[in-house]
Amino acid sequence: MRVLVVHCHPDPASFVAAMRDRAVRGLDRAGHEVRVCDLYADGFDPTMTAEERRTHKEPGVAPDLQRYADDLGWAEALVLVYPTWWSGFPAMLKGWVDRVWVAGVAWELPDGASRIRPRLTNIRRIVAITSHGSSKLVNALEGETGKRTMTRSLRLMCSWRTRTTWCAAYGIDTRDAAEREEYLDRVESTTARLR
Amino acid sequence: MNALVVVAHPCTDSFTHALADAAEEGLVGAGHAVDRIDLYAAGFAAAMTRAERLAYHTDRPIVDEQVDDHARLLLAAEILVFVYPTWWSQMPAILKGWFERVMVPGVGFVFDAHGKVRPGLGHVRRLIGISTYGSPWWYVKATNDNGRRVITRALRMSCGWRARPRWYGLYAMDTATADDRQAFLERIEQRMAGV
Repeated sequence: MRVLVVHCHPDPASFVAAMRDRAVRGLDRAGHEVRVCDLYADGFDPTMTAEERRTHKEPGVAPDLQRYADDLGWAEALVLVYPTWWSGFPAMLKGWVDRVWVAGVAWELPDGASRIRPRLTNIRRIVAITSHGSSKLVNALEGETGKRTMTRSLRLMCSWRTRTTWCAAYGIDTRDAAEREEYLDRVESTTARLR
Repeated sequence: MNALVVVAHPCTDSFTHALADAAEEGLVGAGHAVDRIDLYAAGFAAAMTRAERLAYHTDRPIVDEQVDDHARLLLAAEILVFVYPTWWSQMPAILKGWFERVMVPGVGFVFDAHGKVRPGLGHVRRLIGISTYGSPWWYVKATNDNGRRVITRALRMSCGWRARPRWYGLYAMDTATADDRQAFLERIEQRMAGV
């Protein structure tokens, strides 16, 4: 399977980077073809411009973002690796959605249609691998906004058969080294099972 | 009371900016002192930097002058108003980044001796969100209305239970008539005058 891994963390030495490495190792073990997109390393600009906003109903991304759109069209599975901040995607990852999941890439509005139609029907699986500083209870009270963005908003632009997997570590700030290692093992086995 | 209005939209002629004006007029009319942060006009950088991430758990998590200015305004505000268009069921990346970079430990919240998060914005008495949605109300609910949850749940936890959240949404914006928009503007000014 063709798998696009989108990695989002400002520090290349972070625990999230270790999560990404183990996710990729699991995918390699399973024999998948992997592309890694590292938003911070790319210097991706997450802020939608006025020009993009004015033309947001016309198909296509800004010219410098074409390769991100191509990656989405190429992928059969999408693996998001990021830290949960304020209960959801970091601004960098949210900006990737704002600017790349645009008309002509993620959705289309055909002439005369009243509702948008999904275009990323090539994506059969979405996996979120994320660390939370706070507990599972606190995140449940906050409404798990990152999880819902993945299982609802993004998934609705894929196929109705697209399945999602949530692989999260809660309370990471208070976990010891052994518990973190256990989570990394879980990350690797989750992506190694991807079919 | 001191009010802080935070607005996020790339186009200065947007309906979002008209809403921010209406909100400000209402608040000023009611005798409040209003500060406004227009994130796009201020050229606010959405993505938390590596330096900021590394400083996050230190005594000085703010390393940027502009972020420091915004944190000072936030710490002086008793009324917090957010005005933005909902994209992908969430706030635009630039506003999400404002949460991540400005509401750091010591501002938005504090860690107690056990590493648990405690509210840092106990002085905030009113928490108000004003948003426009392209989707109809039922679709917004089905996708979890994540931006609203970040403000009325995650941020509310940082404000302590005295803060009352209020939410004003204009749904199905794309098919709203000029009258609908005008009525919403008037409603916002009226409600803000009643704060």
